[in-house]
Amino acid sequence: MKIVDKVINWARLKSPWVIHFNAGACNGCDIEVVAALTPIYDIERFGSILRGTPRHADVLLCCGPVTRQLKDRLVRIYEQMPEPKFVVAIGACACSGGAIDGCYSVVSGIDQAIPVSMYIPGCPASPDAIIDGVVKLLKSYEESLKQADKKNENSK
Amino acid sequence: MSKKVVIPIGPQHPALKEPASFDVTLKGERVADILVKVGYNHRGIEKACEQRPYLQCVYLVERVCGICSHSHSTCFIQAVEEIANIQIPPRAAYIRSLIGELERIHSHLLWLGVAAHEIGFDTLLMYSWRDREVVMDLLALLTGNRVNYAVNVIGGVRKDISEEEKGQILKAVDILEERTKYYVQVATEEITLIERLSKVGYISKEDAVRLGAVGPTGRASGIKRDIRKDDPYAAYGEVDFEVITDDHCDVYGRAVVRIKELMQSYSIIRQLLKKLPQTPLAVNVPRLIPVGEAVSRYEAPRGEDIHYLKSNGTDKPERVKLRAPTLANVQSVSKMLEDGYLADVPIVIAAIDPCFSCTDRMIVALDDVSAKKSDRMDWKSLREFSINWYKKNRGIDFTKIKKMGK
Amino acid sequence: MKTANDIVEKFKETYSSFIVEIFAQRERRIWLEVDKKFFRNSFEKFVNQEGFNMLSTISGLDLKDKYQVIYHMCNEYGVVLNIKVSLNKENPSVQTITDLFPSAELSERELEDLLGIKVEGLVQGRRYPLPDGWPEGQYPLRKDWDASVLDKKIEKVSDGGKNE
Repeated sequence: MKIVDKVINWARLKSPWVIHFNAGACNGCDIEVVAALTPIYDIERFGSILRGTPRHADVLLCCGPVTRQLKDRLVRIYEQMPEPKFVVAIGACACSGGAIDGCYSVVSGIDQAIPVSMYIPGCPASPDAIIDGVVKLLKSYEESLKQADKKNENSK
Repeated sequence: MSKKVVIPIGPQHPALKEPASFDVTLKGERVADILVKVGYNHRGIEKACEQRPYLQCVYLVERVCGICSHSHSTCFIQAVEEIANIQIPPRAAYIRSLIGELERIHSHLLWLGVAAHEIGFDTLLMYSWRDREVVMDLLALLTGNRVNYAVNVIGGVRKDISEEEKGQILKAVDILEERTKYYVQVATEEITLIERLSKVGYISKEDAVRLGAVGPTGRASGIKRDIRKDDPYAAYGEVDFEVITDDHCDVYGRAVVRIKELMQSYSIIRQLLKKLPQTPLAVNVPRLIPVGEAVSRYEAPRGEDIHYLKSNGTDKPERVKLRAPTLANVQSVSKMLEDGYLADVPIVIAAIDPCFSCTDRMIVALDDVSAKKSDRMDWKSLREFSINWYKKNRGIDFTKIKKMGK
Repeated sequence: MKTANDIVEKFKETYSSFIVEIFAQRERRIWLEVDKKFFRNSFEKFVNQEGFNMLSTISGLDLKDKYQVIYHMCNEYGVVLNIKVSLNKENPSVQTITDLFPSAELSERELEDLLGIKVEGLVQGRRYPLPDGWPEGQYPLRKDWDASVLDKKIEKVSDGGKNE
């Protein structure tokens, strides 16, 4: 691995920037995402900050069962994010549709529209669960980087 | 005459925590016209309620909105109880009011933070959200969940408040009151806040009545309407409180009304706890609700919440109609923004404390089929267009950059 | 004029020609049905002369043999007046009240979109709540409507667009 890549990966793991998108959620999960950013939970300890634009973000925190109207917008936001990108589905609705599953205007789950890397259940998912999810996501990414690195060395 | 420019805001925008879009027509820096488009959050809950038993409806209705969940579930249950002619025990009414007031405190503190964020006063956002956690902890203690408390059942409530919990509520209320006094001080003395919010988003009393503004938005324009006083429900008939109004008619007025309402809520909670009667928590309810119809009103943190329920004698409702306060308030936004500055748009929208998931609970959305017929580009061709444009004019090939990154 | 019963008595005296049915359900709840022919006329009187100057919302119902529209109004004493108008099944239409209450616009568009009730005199505008691409003649809140007419299949993004 080149030294530049190492620095980039280190930065990415130490400071994941997040964007939040409400895909038809009831607000319960949204306020918990914001609560995770404020002093008691303080996700900024882990170097995360909330960005306003998907072009700056590494992690898409997404809640809600995805309404038909928002499906295209969600895909568009996902496409605008730079690689590598991660999607975290927050809350029961985002994981599977939850209580809203079966309604005619929803597609029941984020993974029906875009690939999801991490599911956080709960109605709503509590801020500590959200932080735990994001941290675990980064750990798994770190693991996969290490394995890829090993593979590369072995093949040399 | 300057040229008119249309700026679309939303559905995804840093200033909006929820999807909604506003087409703002600008003349120079000033807003000439604004078109509000809501409907992104529609899930079809009204139709879904017709297909579910009453008990499930309660939990579904609670998920209309995560911030005012108790408002919606109480409002719906009140309608069911009226049709079935059920008298809930007094203790249940007190507990419903108590949770309702705690919810109002959490919602108003949340609003204060969001409004402060919109004007770039992030310190206040952090302060008020830190204090909000006191209420959230309390709600988690009393009901087991931070949001969507599910404390209501048809015929009463499901959870009691113990003596020990009473003490903890009172302790928390004392802390919050102390903090709210500080916010009152900030609101009345902090010159930057006053200057930033005064004369922004003005709406006169006449316009507010005509456009049907409710809750703090209406009360800040001098409309003395509060369902808790006008049409008492739960235990509000037995407590003493004041309906806060203000005659500023602008965003500053709305902030003052909300902060003062916090103080009223603390007083209501103390009175409720003092008088809390010793009765059972719930009465037995038949599974089938008789034929009938009822209108139920509730003063949610954002204003009047109204539910219409028609039953047909089965275990499922015939028709449920929900009107959340934001639907009443969103129409006054265009009046408030008339001739205002573009920079004021986010704070004016935030000042009605919009909650689009409530508003859109029954709006249906589908892919834009007709877009192909018009000269508008769908997003795929727009994306291709932009990639080609950069290739041609800037010599950047985005597809290659992606591969390099891999 | 403060209690529901007083209002009912007064209405019975004054507006007997318009009213099909009127009763006070309980304190602060009045249910009232008016003939469609006199709807606009009586509605204006209730608003301007009787002080029901706030519109809470408009509900539309599909009662299988007919449609019904309910206007939920309230006055400053917190009395709710529910004005019902029945519409025939073949050609349901009702006159607009947006000249009296501009805030009724969204509720009336809801009636048009979700139940297919034509609102006469409602100005052209952005449709609400359904989006522009909604198929003609599909009204989700009608009792005989079911979601199977909508294409439920959702296209997934192919492996996250990584190979594009």
